[in-house]
Amino acid sequence: MSIITPPETDQPEEPTARPMPTHRMKEYLSRSYVRRILIMAVIIMAITVALGWVVVGFMNMTGAPASDIMGDLEQTVLIFTIASAPLIAITLSTIFYSLIGWKHSSGDEPPMQDSPAIRTNAFAVIVWITATSLLAGFLVVWGLIELATITSNAYGSVSANQQPNDVKQIDINVTGQQWVWSFEYPDQQGITSDYLVVPVNTPLYFNLTSEDVIHDFWIVELGVKIDVNPGAITNTGVTPTKLGTFNIRCAELCGLHHAYMETKIQVVTQAEFDAWVRDKGGMKTA
Amino acid sequence: MSVTTAVFEQPAVLQPKQHGKPGGFLRHTNIFTGLAGGIVFAAVVYMIGSKLVPWGNQNEDFSQIGANALIAATMFAWVIGFMAGIGAFAGPIRWALGHDLTHDDAEYMAGKGQGKFRYWKYTTDHKVVGTQYFVMVLVLLGVGGFLAMLIRTELGWTWGELFDPNFYNSIIGTHGIVMVVSLIIVVTGPLGNFIMPIMVGARDMAFPRLNALSFWLLFAAVPPLLATLFMGGIRDGWSVYQPLATQAGMGMIGYQVLIIVFAYSTGVASVNLITTAVTMRARGMNWSRVPIFVIGIIASSVMGLIWFPMYQYSQALAMSDLILNSSFFNPVAGGSVWLYENLFWLLAHPEVYVIVVPATAGILELMTVFLRKPLFSYKLAIAGFAGVVGISAIVWVHHMYMTGFAPQVGYPFMLSTELISIPFGFLVLVALGTMWRGKVWTRLPMMCVYAVIWDKVIGGITGVYLSDVPVDQYMHGSMFVVAHFHFMLMGAGLFGAMACISYWFPKMCGRMLNERIGSIGFWVAFFGFQLTFFSMFVAGLQGMPRRVLQFDNAFNVSNWISTIGAYIIGIGMLIFLYAIITSWRGKTWAPANPWGAKTLEWQTSTPVPLENFPVLPVVTSDPYGYGVPDPYDAIERELAKDDNEAKVPQ
Amino acid sequence: MSTTTTGPLYPTTGEPVAVNARRNRLGVWLCIVSDCAGSIALLIAYSYLWSLNVNNAWAPPKNTWAADLPFWLIVLGTVLATIAMWWGYKGLVKGHKDRMIVGATLATLIILVTFIGQIVQMSTFPFDIQDGAYASSVVWLCFGAAIHLFMLLFFTMAILFRTKAGRITPENPYHARLVSMWMTYVCIIIAIGALFTLVMKDSPNNAAPTFGVFTSQQ
Repeated sequence: MSIITPPETDQPEEPTARPMPTHRMKEYLSRSYVRRILIMAVIIMAITVALGWVVVGFMNMTGAPASDIMGDLEQTVLIFTIASAPLIAITLSTIFYSLIGWKHSSGDEPPMQDSPAIRTNAFAVIVWITATSLLAGFLVVWGLIELATITSNAYGSVSANQQPNDVKQIDINVTGQQWVWSFEYPDQQGITSDYLVVPVNTPLYFNLTSEDVIHDFWIVELGVKIDVNPGAITNTGVTPTKLGTFNIRCAELCGLHHAYMETKIQVVTQAEFDAWVRDKGGMKTA
Repeated sequence: MSVTTAVFEQPAVLQPKQHGKPGGFLRHTNIFTGLAGGIVFAAVVYMIGSKLVPWGNQNEDFSQIGANALIAATMFAWVIGFMAGIGAFAGPIRWALGHDLTHDDAEYMAGKGQGKFRYWKYTTDHKVVGTQYFVMVLVLLGVGGFLAMLIRTELGWTWGELFDPNFYNSIIGTHGIVMVVSLIIVVTGPLGNFIMPIMVGARDMAFPRLNALSFWLLFAAVPPLLATLFMGGIRDGWSVYQPLATQAGMGMIGYQVLIIVFAYSTGVASVNLITTAVTMRARGMNWSRVPIFVIGIIASSVMGLIWFPMYQYSQALAMSDLILNSSFFNPVAGGSVWLYENLFWLLAHPEVYVIVVPATAGILELMTVFLRKPLFSYKLAIAGFAGVVGISAIVWVHHMYMTGFAPQVGYPFMLSTELISIPFGFLVLVALGTMWRGKVWTRLPMMCVYAVIWDKVIGGITGVYLSDVPVDQYMHGSMFVVAHFHFMLMGAGLFGAMACISYWFPKMCGRMLNERIGSIGFWVAFFGFQLTFFSMFVAGLQGMPRRVLQFDNAFNVSNWISTIGAYIIGIGMLIFLYAIITSWRGKTWAPANPWGAKTLEWQTSTPVPLENFPVLPVVTSDPYGYGVPDPYDAIERELAKDDNEAKVPQ
Repeated sequence: MSTTTTGPLYPTTGEPVAVNARRNRLGVWLCIVSDCAGSIALLIAYSYLWSLNVNNAWAPPKNTWAADLPFWLIVLGTVLATIAMWWGYKGLVKGHKDRMIVGATLATLIILVTFIGQIVQMSTFPFDIQDGAYASSVVWLCFGAAIHLFMLLFFTMAILFRTKAGRITPENPYHARLVSMWMTYVCIIIAIGALFTLVMKDSPNNAAPTFGVFTSQQ
């Protein structure tokens, strides 16, 4: 391009001439449809952000988060909603305005005249790519940090006999079979149960395996989920922070009575837990 | 698209020896000989087989090896017998013997002079194959939709079990796989075969006989699948995780036969579509002048071609586990359930894009027509499709975050999953830019476009939640996931396909689609869709697992609403189907170019003649030459002039 | 476009044979891609089960691995047949139609022998397909090879018949070339399969948990 110099004065209105960005932006904002779309976008953005709380509200319908993990992931849902709100708002406000503002009035016939031939717009493309990349980058970074935190706190942490002595942790062996859960407490003399009783504020560490098909161990209100596979042992962990009784469900289709494969987890105080262990025939926890 | 025509001199072509009358063996074959061949061969194999392996040869672990093997052999015999009966093997045998087709043979096989009966034969004409696919898709969608109504009826009936749990599980699985199959072919089948070759200015597909093969393989594969409903059914969802699938026994065989045969059908169709689009474009149609729909078809076919064999082999190995007692997925004997999940999701995630990409491309194509504007940033659209194809290969593990097979793998796959939103973002920008300041001609196809973009936004933001590993700890395997992928597959895939079908209906069927009835059907379905799946989101967020038939009372209200919405979808779809059928049988003949579009398929007459164009077109510009000069450009120039004058005093 | 004016024309479409051949070549390449993906699925299955050794059931009973030599004999047979095919094709384009006939005949015979050898190998394994993951994987690798060899048998025979019938000529040698391409691919994929069986025998995972038991608890 540098070799060919354009003629000096032949074309007073060069198509390559560009106004200064500030002037351009000012002129752009003076167009009525731009302002209307922006206003709509702001409104939609507000609604989207509000919807983030609605989503979390539905997740909390059976009570507030019962573990840090559940709290963390509700926070993630909120943050992700807020982060993607601008792009959603621009998209939706454009299609709404297209339907309302740019609609061709007599729909039976094609418009008399074609629309402006906009082939591309470098500015819009660059801004869009930058914005979506930043958003995706943010989601990735947030997700990685979040995952690392959860992993180091509870998820996939080490087994009890490798813990430092001051950390009191309860190992639980979970066996899934069609269509019941069974739980074994190896540190409590191997007592077994078909529902879980655990002390509050104590890290739990689950070893899981299945005797037949794949199940999925889901403590709903604690935000813990892991597949229970035949022929393999998976691990997960969580620290319940709230007293109460919560749901354990199977979240992987496992055959005839998959729908009924559920049980309870009772989060109780340490004293109550010790009493329960004694009733079951186990010794007091160390 | 500016088109000039050039007359080629047709030199006399040396014809090989004509063996018998034109068409040869294929003169005597049609769907009825195919059915007869399939049934007879299957019966023979069944009778011989039942002598060899006694029915009910009980194995130590709950699977009936003998019965399974017998059923598998019978089903494959049906497929082979059908294909032989309809004449599919005539081509390879003639090739091997050196009896090549003459021009008369080829014309007979393309259905020349056979009237309507050519739709019942092994016809190679791409327009016939496209129409066959269209009817097949409508039937499959009808079956899948009916099963969906059954599922929602059970879930809306919160006072006990309406169906036997086994039957309920099998309708879940059958609904899933029927819908997946029909959505994979809903755009590339009818429109990719019928429209795409005309769009690139070809006389037929690159491999016409493979085209017929792809359809009739699909046709032959469907009866085994539906037969399973009476043989115990697919009781483990469409993903048929092992080793649960082993317990289903005979019911699984039909599924595996379907997938193995359907993979061949898809592979053959993909090879054909890609080769046609790459090598058979009209003169002058270089890569910057190819309509974006063609690009979408190529992208979808490439993904199908590469990833379908993984799925095919996962089912072949699973079948081997069932009938030979091998141990690929049986953990007791050294198999791994994670192996199955990996092989399965290696296809099953790209398959989502196989469904969504052609529908998206079709939408971009028709937007230009109804907005009378060129496509915004053609290159960005191509980059978007290329990006989706590229990244689709490395995201499958996000379906397996919670399987625990390697917790550390969550990190890179979370990265790739979130990266794939960037090329999808390109496509959104292309759609928005095309829409920007365009006078909308509000016909039914364009209305579908708005619906699709809305659905994609909802599906997109819920997908953002699900791409995150920690959030997946709550949402994986819940009804939230079900609602999310219905927004993508049905909201974007099926409604996008409805847009494409109503846009190309005048060209395919020669009649105008009844705008009023079609619109009513579409909007009713859309309204019902929102109702159904928004309340399903709520159920999922409250903690309802998927694929259950009974649940806590806490989920009652959202399930009632979902069921009502599902019935509304059903009514809307029936109205839309009514519009299609009555329009097709009606007498409202369509002009050659009712929308005033500029792509090649609208430049030829309707109904399209046998070899598409009397004279092959030569393309001199891209197909998006719509539009008038932008009035705002004058203002920009004024501003620029002011700026330049302001600079002068310095 | 010199090729469009010279050479024979394709009878059904009236296009030059060379144009049609380019189209077919793309089609064959795409078939290779697709088939390669399927073969990779088998190799994934083999190596995945090898690395996991689920329930310590990878190895066949009494560690009776399959003998290595037959795998490589089958690879050798396929390679020889492919060389024969290419040799015939090279002769054909130089104008020697007889060399094509000889090459295709040789290739057909060698493939036939190899195919029979493959069947013999499968029926003489010291284990059954039910005997653990290794047995299943190896039998399936051989089964895949057998299917490919059977297809090759059809293709080489077809090339032989077509050359005799005058459909493959020095001006129109493309189908012979396409079949040779496909055979080359089959050689590569069968060799990779043989390499897998050679290298991956004893599983690297000695600490696999026993089915249904929490053995990770010390």
